[in-house]
Amino acid sequence: MLSIVVCVKAVPDLDEADKIRIDPDTKALTRHDIPLVINPLDRNALEAALQIKEKGEAHITIISMGPPSAGNVVKECLALGVDQGILLSDPAFAGADAFATAYTLYKAIDKLDSVDCVFCGRASSDGATEWVGPELATFLRMPVVTMVREFVEAGGNSWKVKADIEDGYRLVQVEMPAVFTVTHTANTPRTLSFSGIIKARKKEITTWILDDLGVAEESVGLKGSPTIVSDLTVVESKRTCQIIEGTLEEKADILINKLISSGVLL
Amino acid sequence: MIDFTFTDEQELFRKAAREFAETQIAPLVPKMEETGRDWDPAIKALCDAEMMAITIPEEYGGLGLGYVERLIALEEIARVSVATAMMMQVGALGTAPIIVFGSEEQKKKYLPGLASGKHFATVAVTEPSGGSDPKGCTTTYKKQGDSYFLNGRKCFITNSHIADVQVVMAVDEENPDSFSTFIVESGMKGFKPTHEEHKVGMRGCNTGEIELKDCEVPAENLLGGEGKGMRVAMTAIGDVGRGGMVGCSLGLQQACLEASIKFANERILYGKPINRLQAIQFKLAEIKIDLDAGRLLGYRAASIQDAGGRSSNEFAVAKYYTAEAAQRAAKMAADIHGGYGCMEEFVVTRYLRDSFVLGPSAGTSDIMKVIISRWVLS
Amino acid sequence: MSRSDNPVWVIAEQVSEIIPTVCFELVGQARKLADDLGASAEALLLGEVTRDQIDLLFYSGADVVYHGNSPDFGIYQSEIYSETIVTLSKETQPQIILLGSTFIGRELAPIIAAKLGTGLTAHCMDLFINEEHILGQRIPAYGGLISITCPEKRPQIATVAQGVFQVPELDKNRSGKILPVEPPVGLKLRVKTLEVVIKKPEGVPLEEAPIVVAGGSGAGCVEGWQEIKTLADVLDAALGSTRPAVDEGWTDLDTMIGQSGKMVNPELYIGVGLSGEQQHMVGITNAKVMVAINNDPKSPVFEQVDYGIVEDCREFVPLLVKKLQGKNKKSRT
Repeated sequence: MLSIVVCVKAVPDLDEADKIRIDPDTKALTRHDIPLVINPLDRNALEAALQIKEKGEAHITIISMGPPSAGNVVKECLALGVDQGILLSDPAFAGADAFATAYTLYKAIDKLDSVDCVFCGRASSDGATEWVGPELATFLRMPVVTMVREFVEAGGNSWKVKADIEDGYRLVQVEMPAVFTVTHTANTPRTLSFSGIIKARKKEITTWILDDLGVAEESVGLKGSPTIVSDLTVVESKRTCQIIEGTLEEKADILINKLISSGVLL
Repeated sequence: MIDFTFTDEQELFRKAAREFAETQIAPLVPKMEETGRDWDPAIKALCDAEMMAITIPEEYGGLGLGYVERLIALEEIARVSVATAMMMQVGALGTAPIIVFGSEEQKKKYLPGLASGKHFATVAVTEPSGGSDPKGCTTTYKKQGDSYFLNGRKCFITNSHIADVQVVMAVDEENPDSFSTFIVESGMKGFKPTHEEHKVGMRGCNTGEIELKDCEVPAENLLGGEGKGMRVAMTAIGDVGRGGMVGCSLGLQQACLEASIKFANERILYGKPINRLQAIQFKLAEIKIDLDAGRLLGYRAASIQDAGGRSSNEFAVAKYYTAEAAQRAAKMAADIHGGYGCMEEFVVTRYLRDSFVLGPSAGTSDIMKVIISRWVLS
Repeated sequence: MSRSDNPVWVIAEQVSEIIPTVCFELVGQARKLADDLGASAEALLLGEVTRDQIDLLFYSGADVVYHGNSPDFGIYQSEIYSETIVTLSKETQPQIILLGSTFIGRELAPIIAAKLGTGLTAHCMDLFINEEHILGQRIPAYGGLISITCPEKRPQIATVAQGVFQVPELDKNRSGKILPVEPPVGLKLRVKTLEVVIKKPEGVPLEEAPIVVAGGSGAGCVEGWQEIKTLADVLDAALGSTRPAVDEGWTDLDTMIGQSGKMVNPELYIGVGLSGEQQHMVGITNAKVMVAINNDPKSPVFEQVDYGIVEDCREFVPLLVKKLQGKNKKSRT
């Protein structure tokens, strides 16, 4: 049976993201009291895995690294149809950059019996880097294809996928096992169902801490991160804004006239 | 001590219901409003999303969940479409008597189809003479051989033209004190949905009349025993019907609050958003107070029901409070919108019309007071 | 940390034997960084190109061009490319490696970083040598710019989008050494690009459009997005977007403006239903006139534009479209 691992990040709800601050001491992002949700782009990775499972037999494991509250996100994935959930949660994992995150995920996946493929989202909505998928692949010594928009042939020893490039795509053949990052156009993620939530009652979430992974504290979290945030500078805008007042109609007329007189509209 | 928090799983149910309502139901609302019909896509969506299976036991293909979960789902669906929530709630109202009073054969025959959405249900009690005085029922039944023959007319029946499984109450042709309920299938000879109503609100929710003309119902479709009809109908209406209206009302209150906050943040008056004006702030506060109080009443009754108790009196209190509160909330939401509150492009005008229909559904506020006063005096 | 004079590298990719503009921009910036460090600026180019393309790398500031022109480098194959870069990097120990934030760069950079066991910063808006003689990498975050550094691990790797740095003035007197690079021997390929399909979009590219209309999540729905598109059509403008609009599925990633998207330089920019997140706004700093339409008077976008309209874009945009259409009709008759 095909064994698929999907890496999911619990990210702060975008609607409340303005409450995020940078910790002045550790320079890491603090995320106090902000509800965590599935990174929206990871839902496409999850959906790709679920669709492959619908076509053939597959076992899907979800792995998420995050605070204990990320357990809710793992639970939600189980309700969406994932078979097994693993939460990597340890204070030592905190403050990780992409490199340390990929390394920690690698150590976790390495503990699993046999893995045929790993799916990641294209990027995360909070850190906005796209590095975890390819870095994880490199640690796992697996090939990687980023920005996959379509799985043309999947399930066998060799898969064919279409991956986005500038103004087009490339058709890629991959020997398995492999890592894929999935774009947001690849599919429309399914929504939660009541029966899915009920089925998730019987599915377990395993939490692994630092000792479970058998790695040194120095190679994970903030300590294991090659990059650090060194300072924050405020950007001063060079523009002063004139708010155009009036009725809806007047505002439109005034704006058009202003743009014509500044020479940017004919 | 009382725990007022939802479980993690219940929060997940709410999230699922909200996602469903926002992605599947919300896009259907404009068409339903425009035509007052076009309920088929909403019904299909409800069935596909297992919304009709919530309280049906697992052994009959349902989800085996409780009234709290049902209330959560109704609240979230009513938040985007009270009309859809109404059809869903009455579907469950038609199903509940079969769950509670049905024989094993009846349960096996009807519940799996009602859970999967192959069938849809309703209850037909109200007649032209009124709904809150069931003893005034003039639809009659008469036994002949292995069949009952029903004659009469039912009106203001939600799902009248959709439901193919209808729990109908009738009175013995020869004994005016003997009421019985029957499971009538829409395909049975002599059954016919007739007039469709055009309501001021909850447009797109099917309400209409049915006609029973020598309608032949097999004897095995008698529900709960001959002469037990009043108990069957009142249990369903008391617990499920009122409970469902609480969900519809709470969802509408939440919608009113959200629309009001959004407008108050965006509408600029005297150079600043109107949310800075105390007159507006107090209205928002009042909607919120009503909503929180209504939720406590509603979920209290649902919890009693889930714990195995009877909750029709507690639901009467909650039904009264939330229906009244929804009407207040819709009025205040429209007031906050000022002139825009009179323009059909603004969703609060729909809320105002919908709130109007919440009142009489499953019993007016005055009838609730009759029930509550009977309760306190008993 | 003491100053190092190890080289500063740029990975110069080629697509259909043409080196993308961003690579020349990066060579120009690498030259400045190398000068600050007293180091050499070097480009690593994989794939066959004409000699004048290589000269352009020298004119842009490169001292050395490592060039692999084996047919194996013809189209991008992640394993061949990454193995070649990693092997050469281990031999010659560059202290900095810069890549364009192209689709290839975005896949290649993390593979290289992981293989070399070092850090990587995404889509930088500025690169400089700080007082500790290491690479400061500025990225937008939380209403400002944060600096990222990679204090201990080497090389320091960063990706940069096209347009962040200017194309350097070409110095045609410059030249340098071309050193050959061979593909790895005996590498068993597990990933093979079989086919590349490109379809250039019609119209003016976003980066060169004189008018840009950009939409954000405030469009609210597909219909709202359509209105913004209509506004762009009426103005003969290129349509841009923010990341939330892309994530909603209203538009393609190709239209995204900002840190991880495209840099634009229009005469007129109109931002519709967007909040002015730094990640987006850094892509438009060079616009001549900027307009924002947003229903929230407190939106940070109004601090960053010239004209503000506080209205719900779903009401205002259709009206503006109607007015502009009327104006066009009048000017034609």
